[in-house]
Amino acid sequence: MLGARHDAARAVGEAHSVALLAEGLRKAYGATVALEHADISLAAGKVHALLGENGAGKSTLVRILTGAVRPDAGTLELNGSYYAPQTLIEARSYGVATAFQELSLVPNLTVAQNLLLPDMPRGPLGLVSFRRVLEMGSDILARHGLQRIDPATQVALLPLAERQRIEIVRAMENASSLLILDEPTAALAETDWLFDRIRMMTARNVAVLYISHRLAEVREICSDATVLRNGRSIASVGLAEASDDDIFEMMVGRRVDHTARNRAASRLSDAAPRLSVKGLSGHGLKDISFELRPGEVLGIAALEGQGQRGLFRMLAGLTVPERGAVQIDGLPTTLSSPRQALRAASGIAYLPEERKTEGILAGLTAATNVVLPVLPGAAYAAMITPQAELRAAGPSATKVDMSPRYLDFAIGDLSGGNQQKALVARTLATGAKTLLLFDPTRGVDVGTKQSIYAAIRAFAEQGGSVIFYSSELPEVVQLADRCLALYDGRVFQAFEGDAIAEQALVAAIHGHAGGHH
Amino acid sequence: MTQTPEPTPFTQAGDTRTSAKISRDTISAVSVAVLCVLLLLSARLVSPALGSWTQVETVLVLGFFLVVLSYGQGLVILSGGLDLSLPATITLGGILATSWVGANDPNAWYLLPVVLMICGLVGLMSGIGVVWLKVPPFIMTMAMSIIVASALLGYTNGTPRGAAPTAAVALMKTELLGLPTPVIVLVAFVAMGWLFQSRSIYGRYLYAIGTNLDAARIAGVPVTMMQILPYVISAMCAGFVGIALVGYSSGATLRMGDDYLLPSIAAVVIGGSSILGGRGTNLGTVGGAILLTTLGTIISALGMEFGLRTVIEGSIVLFALLLLREELFQKLRNLWR
Repeated sequence: MLGARHDAARAVGEAHSVALLAEGLRKAYGATVALEHADISLAAGKVHALLGENGAGKSTLVRILTGAVRPDAGTLELNGSYYAPQTLIEARSYGVATAFQELSLVPNLTVAQNLLLPDMPRGPLGLVSFRRVLEMGSDILARHGLQRIDPATQVALLPLAERQRIEIVRAMENASSLLILDEPTAALAETDWLFDRIRMMTARNVAVLYISHRLAEVREICSDATVLRNGRSIASVGLAEASDDDIFEMMVGRRVDHTARNRAASRLSDAAPRLSVKGLSGHGLKDISFELRPGEVLGIAALEGQGQRGLFRMLAGLTVPERGAVQIDGLPTTLSSPRQALRAASGIAYLPEERKTEGILAGLTAATNVVLPVLPGAAYAAMITPQAELRAAGPSATKVDMSPRYLDFAIGDLSGGNQQKALVARTLATGAKTLLLFDPTRGVDVGTKQSIYAAIRAFAEQGGSVIFYSSELPEVVQLADRCLALYDGRVFQAFEGDAIAEQALVAAIHGHAGGHH
Repeated sequence: MTQTPEPTPFTQAGDTRTSAKISRDTISAVSVAVLCVLLLLSARLVSPALGSWTQVETVLVLGFFLVVLSYGQGLVILSGGLDLSLPATITLGGILATSWVGANDPNAWYLLPVVLMICGLVGLMSGIGVVWLKVPPFIMTMAMSIIVASALLGYTNGTPRGAAPTAAVALMKTELLGLPTPVIVLVAFVAMGWLFQSRSIYGRYLYAIGTNLDAARIAGVPVTMMQILPYVISAMCAGFVGIALVGYSSGATLRMGDDYLLPSIAAVVIGGSSILGGRGTNLGTVGGAILLTTLGTIISALGMEFGLRTVIEGSIVLFALLLLREELFQKLRNLWR
């Protein structure tokens, strides 16, 4: 039996015709290469998994296949003929449809309208016929076993899981050659309905590209997998012949351990905890407890959307926890705003996730951006000059290796790396003893990364405490004294010291405990 | 640690950074000033009486109202809001100055600050409505405007009585150091306004919240207080204009503020501020206010009708908005080099 599956995987070309063939796809956004060289071949009537870490290029590949972006290089063939969709609608006319992870439904339209967009059935006067829309909508729902959903309901009123099902049904209705499912089970509690539907699609000889980080699920429904790493397709394998460890290794790579930990634990292990979190819940987080000591750097490793955002935003005072208690320096604290978090006991300073929308104040100078949280301290009787701001920002800029000559430029005119340095400098300038750094090196160049690492280390060596999340595991390995792997809102596994290794972390963030040897 | 060379923010070769620092703000302020002078000089061609020094003085005295008013409006716009309650608040200041202060004791100058504080209270309510009740600024301030105007109608029974307080008359009708007092007061007002907006930490906070409220909150800016404050200042400026108008024309009417709403916004926009907040200088706004006043004076001197004046003002606002679109501005900046 196993051998038969094995053979089937091998004989893709013979038993099943190739539905989609992509060769040498490449896409760069400015200097950032999102996809370097991707080859993938999808067989009609089969489910093919796309695996890879955050930032490996999965989303970019999906966007190319659906016509949302155009590749810089490479060719696509659909059912043997040239395929270069310019828009989502054009891709759909070729029978390629996608159920997006971030759902592409129009919230204030009804279920039926969403299912039929953009072509609504029309009445005699050329106006949209609501009766026909409802009829057709309820037919579609019935076909997919979703009679329980009223086609006249406004989509925004449905629970997330039902919205995800609608998104999937709509894609299935439009996919006659290729169906792309991007994290289709993110909001679904069970997979029976979905897998049932997928089998119906494959029976109709539709190729399915299945993207999920849940490996057990992938093994259940997919026959083959393509692994992406750093924008390259590393390998395409039959899932029957690859073990979990093989797959994790392909995802991470046999990296020479240059990311090895070159840092002596600077933690003062016997000191009283600076931050103590007990049973924190809400915003995707389920009952998290940990302690952070002076001089300690705590890394958070997780896939997208495992509750890390909620954790950081609650500790920063931006959102209110549903349950749980936070103590700073042993004092119970309610964190109600970032301003209050900065002032609570020894203070918590937050580096936000989105540099452009939550971080920089584009029209103001870099110096103002750095000193904003401590402006009264830099001012004389509430009056401040640009020179005084430069003087106040200088020391923090130096700590992150930012040239002072950039300080009097509008921060919006600086490079992404310098913007990020300025924002890290701001958290240092606040004088807070605990830093919350959400992906501190996202989208910056190698030199800037090193400067930010050095600043974090120096801060910890002087007794500061740091919690950081990184979408790049090597960064966690390199920087963290201790690491919590989050999965589904909980601490799945904790690592300390030399146990923080990339392979073990990959397994843990995918919810596989036994992965480490 | 090896230092990688920093990618330069500008693609052109050579150091274009200094010229890039001639910000759009500076360009706007200078352009407006130049336009003012040109307008005054060209007015001479129309009528020799125009463009003289006396004429400049007249413009400055008449411009007093708009400069003060648009400063408050400018702060509200800078913070990301809009104040439509200015006409009603001007009238409030004017009516309180005549029917309350002037009717009882025209010499009671010490009651005028109380009038300003009552006006400030109106702004406080607008601010609270915008920040805590999350009513959109333009609905909230319009509602306040209607409430205040109706209350005044009730208070005066439709006919404002009383006399202008002597202090208000003195403010507008005397001379100091050989110049009209309002011009001196105006200079002091602009200087203080500049200190507050460009050299105080509160000014910095206003720029920050107007640029990006979320980012400002994360940076630890006291966003609630800083969103309310500009409405209070704006209302007090309007109250001050009301008192000054009473001193200038020796009486109040229930519609005395009506003609000032559009110009107050126009002055801010012409002065180079972004209508979306976060950008602009008060010196630019002062220029915009003077420019509009000059234009108004010339139009009246030419005997044009008031309606035409409003049409021209409206067209200028539209033109300024078009000009402020980023790409057009970038072009202008390149021409400047």
